[in-house]
Amino acid sequence: MRTGHYVESYEKQLALTTNPVTWAWTGALLLGLALFPLLVGNYLLSVAITVGIAAIGAIGLNLLTGITGLISLGQAGFLAAGCYTTALLVADYGWPPELALLAAGFVSALLSLVIGVPSLRLKGLYLAITTLAFSFIITHFLLYAEALTHGPYGVRVENLRFLGLDLTQLDQLFWLVLAVLVLTVLAALNLLRTRVGRAFTAIRDHDVAARVMGISLTRYKLAAFMVSSFVVGIAGGLMAFQFRFINVDLFNLLISIEALAMIIVGGLGSVAGSILGAVFIVLLPEAVRALTDLLPAALTEMLSTYVYEVRGLLTGLAIIVMLRIEPHGLIGLWRDAKRYWTHWPLSV
Amino acid sequence: MSALLSIERVSKRFGGLTAVSEVSFAVPEGAIYSVIGPNGAGKTTLFNMISALFPPSEGAIVFDGQAVHRARTHQLARLGIGRTFQNLAIFSHATVVQNLLVGMHHALKANLLSAALFWGPARREELAARRRVEEIIDFLEIEHLRDLPVGLLSYGLQKRVELGRALAVGPKLLLLDEMVSGMNAEETEDIARFILDIRDELGVTVVMVEHDMGIVMDISDRIAVLNHGSLIAEGTPAEIAADPAVIQAYLGRN
Repeated sequence: MRTGHYVESYEKQLALTTNPVTWAWTGALLLGLALFPLLVGNYLLSVAITVGIAAIGAIGLNLLTGITGLISLGQAGFLAAGCYTTALLVADYGWPPELALLAAGFVSALLSLVIGVPSLRLKGLYLAITTLAFSFIITHFLLYAEALTHGPYGVRVENLRFLGLDLTQLDQLFWLVLAVLVLTVLAALNLLRTRVGRAFTAIRDHDVAARVMGISLTRYKLAAFMVSSFVVGIAGGLMAFQFRFINVDLFNLLISIEALAMIIVGGLGSVAGSILGAVFIVLLPEAVRALTDLLPAALTEMLSTYVYEVRGLLTGLAIIVMLRIEPHGLIGLWRDAKRYWTHWPLSV
Repeated sequence: MSALLSIERVSKRFGGLTAVSEVSFAVPEGAIYSVIGPNGAGKTTLFNMISALFPPSEGAIVFDGQAVHRARTHQLARLGIGRTFQNLAIFSHATVVQNLLVGMHHALKANLLSAALFWGPARREELAARRRVEEIIDFLEIEHLRDLPVGLLSYGLQKRVELGRALAVGPKLLLLDEMVSGMNAEETEDIARFILDIRDELGVTVVMVEHDMGIVMDISDRIAVLNHGSLIAEGTPAEIAADPAVIQAYLGRN
């Protein structure tokens, strides 16, 4: 049990952590992640990049759905907006990738106002349906506004140099994704310890009381949409770097469902939970693939024919199981485990 | 004493139902003012109009020289009106400190960008707010609870946190909607003491809707009595206790 660790000033209380052990672990984790590309092959590295991008997107969604309580099924739409913004700006307009990535965030954030405004009057499932419709409108637009978006032919992005990194190399792309993820985590944690984050949670917990405490619902619901979509848009922009050839099919409904699954399985309202959820949901089909290699050939064949359905099935199963055993998600399990071991042998 | 809050011929109709009908009274600055009446008399409706949750159908509400009945709800905190709710309206997942910090929302300035960076002014104002919150925690004697999620506390303590959150707004006027309902005698006495201290030490004017006649008669300076949406009596506790219209509304004829 950890004793003798007392917080003695408000400065320390506001710090993300004052515990040297936590700092040491965080440092070790970051170092390990930075060295990761040197240790593994290309396949694992590309999976890791997918996890990283998914984690950024999940943090974005969690700010909106987990923290502010506005359910969104529009993740695919915002990802698509960001992804196409970056890809088109680089491929057709010759923008440097650095600016094109930032632009992805801003375009996505501006688009979010389109559903942010109706969201002021909609709650719960009604909002979910609206965001779902928004997502379909975006992909429909991308498919049919051929003059702007190349429609069904997709967009090819080449010559990706980002602040001296060659993004066509998996290891360098990995470092970029890692850096963006770290920045996203810091920004999200900072938001949550200021009046902005508290306004978001206040709206989720009791919107009438929030208004009486001086929080403008209009301003903060729109802010939540914009911050969330900015982050998701950036994740979309990174997808353009990852795939280098993109088309609308990347952004189907399953993406939005999986994003929701990530934050539910990981832990609603938790930044660390978003990351855990992203790791879990991305690795789930990978783990199943590894397992099916052990199965009889006929079964393997069937599973690979229906890979899309199997993924959907697994995602649904993960949500149900997690809601049954631990509504606080993986981060809840982690906290319980931590509490158990810090109080051992006196824990119940 | 000048009036801090005046209710001027205020009515509220919901469709065909007149919940509040031409009610007028004035709350002097520095007073503890109670609004009482049987269930359905329109007390909470009146409170909701004072805190601008909805506008009156007719009449005006003037606070501190400003007509506030057309204001937006979130603007009232800045003007200096804090309130608690009849049913608990705390942010139950957040800790006591976080709940009180929400009350300080309008006093802080961080925007999205400065909050995400948490640097310079954004950090300094959080530190100052944290210090201010500690004063309220001290005042309400909830030091030992400060880092607990409010949802885990007993009902009485949750109400006390809600009171603290309303104080964190830094109000000139505090609206308390049935603060002590469901509390035991000891908790009620604590709250009565806090209300007196809030007025005497912090100089905050208090308006409360209350069913507990003990606390109303003990600490109120003046009382307004509503029945079926109309004001039937207004005066000091002694006057109200002797008023035939009040006795009839509460006890029936004779």
